[in-house]
Amino acid sequence: MLVASGLVKHYGGVTALDGVGITLDAGEVHALVGENGAGKSTLVKIVSGAVRPEGGALELDGAPVRFAGARQAAAQGVAIVSQELMTYDDLTVLENLFPYGGLVSTREMRRLAGPVLAGLGIDPPPHARAGELPLADRQLLEICRALLLEPRVLILDEPTSALPRDAAVRLAGVIRRLAARGLAVLFISHFLEEVMRIADRVTVLRDGRVVLAGADAADVSLDSLVGAMLGRPAAGPAATPGAPSEAEPGARAGAEPAAAPHRPGGAAVSLTGVTVPGRLRDVSLTAAGGEIVGLAGLQGAGHLAVLDAVCGRARPSSGSVWLPGGRAPRSARHAVTSGVAFVSGDRKGRGLMLDKALWENVTAVSWLGQGRGGFLPRRSRLVGRARAHLERLRVRGDVRAGAGDLSGGNQQKVVLAKWLDAAPSVLALDDPTRGVDVGARAELHGIVRGLAAEGKAVLIASSDLAELVELCHRVVVFQRGRVVGSLAGGRLTEPALSLAMNAGFAGSAR
Amino acid sequence: MSVPQPSADAPPANGDGGAAPRRRTRRAVPDEAGVVGVLIALVLGVGLFQPDFLRTGNLLTTAHNSVYVGLMALGMVFALAMREVDLSVGGMYAMGVVAGALLIRDGWNTWLAALAVLALSALVGALNGAVTTYLRLPSFIVTLATAMLLRGVGLALAEGRQITDLPQDDALFRVLGGGELLGVPDAVWVFVLAVAVLTVLFTRTRFGARVRAIGSNPEAAEFGGLPVARTRIAALALSGLMAGLAAVLALAFFIAGDPTIGQGYELTAIAAAIIGGTPLKGGSGSVLGAAAGTLILGAVTAALVFFEVPINWTTFATGGVILVAVGAAPLLRRVRDVRDLRAVRDLRSPGRNP
Repeated sequence: MLVASGLVKHYGGVTALDGVGITLDAGEVHALVGENGAGKSTLVKIVSGAVRPEGGALELDGAPVRFAGARQAAAQGVAIVSQELMTYDDLTVLENLFPYGGLVSTREMRRLAGPVLAGLGIDPPPHARAGELPLADRQLLEICRALLLEPRVLILDEPTSALPRDAAVRLAGVIRRLAARGLAVLFISHFLEEVMRIADRVTVLRDGRVVLAGADAADVSLDSLVGAMLGRPAAGPAATPGAPSEAEPGARAGAEPAAAPHRPGGAAVSLTGVTVPGRLRDVSLTAAGGEIVGLAGLQGAGHLAVLDAVCGRARPSSGSVWLPGGRAPRSARHAVTSGVAFVSGDRKGRGLMLDKALWENVTAVSWLGQGRGGFLPRRSRLVGRARAHLERLRVRGDVRAGAGDLSGGNQQKVVLAKWLDAAPSVLALDDPTRGVDVGARAELHGIVRGLAAEGKAVLIASSDLAELVELCHRVVVFQRGRVVGSLAGGRLTEPALSLAMNAGFAGSAR
Repeated sequence: MSVPQPSADAPPANGDGGAAPRRRTRRAVPDEAGVVGVLIALVLGVGLFQPDFLRTGNLLTTAHNSVYVGLMALGMVFALAMREVDLSVGGMYAMGVVAGALLIRDGWNTWLAALAVLALSALVGALNGAVTTYLRLPSFIVTLATAMLLRGVGLALAEGRQITDLPQDDALFRVLGGGELLGVPDAVWVFVLAVAVLTVLFTRTRFGARVRAIGSNPEAAEFGGLPVARTRIAALALSGLMAGLAAVLALAFFIAGDPTIGQGYELTAIAAAIIGGTPLKGGSGSVLGAAAGTLILGAVTAALVFFEVPINWTTFATGGVILVAVGAAPLLRRVRDVRDLRAVRDLRSPGRNP
């Protein structure tokens, strides 16, 4: 239905696409995978009309087409749901669904939107503001908006990276049904198992070239997919440079966590009987120095509130939070100066200054936040320090390059680098590898393990259960603001974790 | 805005080698070059038709006239760079002139009175910041209100009249008002010094870096533990202080306290800062650019006199200049980016086609 061939695109001196082609057929889900920076986003932008290629051609139903913009592509039946949330938070649900407006009556809008929303399994009040909806619903709202255009080609650029597991599963069902109705779907995801589950065909990009073209998903194994993406023999994700010792466990599920190497006397962070109104009820937990403790739960279960409490952003109404050295975080700033690092997966919103050079980002916490380095430091010293951190984390890119020019994985490493520069004793990680490719993900995991081995206490929340299982010595499960139990050792598996999050530990002792 | 690294498909070692020369070309063309170039071209262009415009005396007078708004524009860079705006500088200026004049008339030592004006303006600026922070209001609204409060206080204290009976031959008036060093008015030297000091403060110090970081991404700054409230208060105090300094220089020059002085200066100061390359979206800015922006506006005003444009059209022309200057800036930047790209490509091509 939609055929792209020989696409070429450069950004500055960088080749983003070098003769890439892809064929989307009606009734099929075609997955596009590749590391960050492999050219996926560029391909998507070209196919959806947001970017014009320097070479190559697009054909729709056998006729050559040229899109002058995303709207024109939409008019021709190519709809896209992009990676970034693009809802208008101040507009109502209905206004969001019909952004091109026209003179459609509210009743008409409801009539059109109702079945599509129901098909996606959400039922938001039509006059609620989009900003008030949970993240997952907002993502589904965008998909609904795309579907209302009645497209023939639907492009989903990492639609599930922000979704909780149940919504992702629901979305997978929706995608299958759409394909069955004759839509051509291009599906981009970092979750390879999801790709394997949903896709009929797989195309793999590496360094702007196609390395696997539209292979039948049934003939492709997870290992060979990873191998094609990384360009190395499929022996699981890359070894982890930058991390001292620590061997990397095998690919994803089935990796057994190492036994917790508790370091007696290491710095610990602990919560005793902490209640935050509306978010946490009587929560006690401890992460010893050297320990990686996972925090799991469904949306609003309270696992994220623990991170907020540790980072000084949520004040307990009773109970207390203790940081190493016996201090309680009084404010976000106090927590930072007391050695708490907060690495968020929302690197654009909470992590980086995209318009600033890497060295400015890396020194932002230690120099500007904690005040180390003085009022008028020598710039060469700051740059040198930043360069050392970036080299240690193997970030590709010059210290003077803009942070906005890096790929997602490298950006996330820069966020980590700026917190390492602050010499923290506690790490609070919130979805630290969101939207990051497998290679960078493995590297980031290696770094976190290395930091724990140095005696830092690590608390991590993640929407990626495999990440928790691989990384954590112990995972504490939350429901409705309470701790309902914890999993460790052999009992810490993805299915067990998923079960505990959804159903709790009914009947079984902790 | 900077260009992606050319190291993506080249081995890292070569990539570094390719990046280094580019950095040097980038360094050689600082961001301020465009606006300073426009200023020089403007002055020379006017001089082509009106050679008298280029007389040293005229140029110095033009510069001297720009000093007052110029100082406010320098302070405004700090406010704009952290996504705030200070609309109270015009009112602050008038209030400072009146307060200084009253203190001197009441028999204060003139230098002490000048210091008092500086302290008072910094304090009121800090209050702007404190109200903005603790009432969680936009600084736009807060300083809009204080602008009127301050001008109102000035008018009331002066009872709506100029305060004139000041000791004409006092040292302050002689030095800061009429004094010269190497043939250049002392007020212009003060301005040059302020540009130098604030440039270092903005680009090199922790305070300046905090201002830029908060403007670039306020949420990340909050999460990174930056003292956002304190920095905002300090930045608006600095903006107030610069308006106070302008007031002291104006008092010394006019030797009178006019409560209606400096109407609309806040907007001219903002325009000058924007012409100089400080975007409203915050995160970056240029003190030197703001100075050049002020001088461009001052030069246009002076040139209109030379071309015998009726005085009533001056405001119209100034508006046109602001629009042209602000519109031309992104254009200049695009030209430079394209040139950078070409440079990168030229560097790479020999390696690619052996």
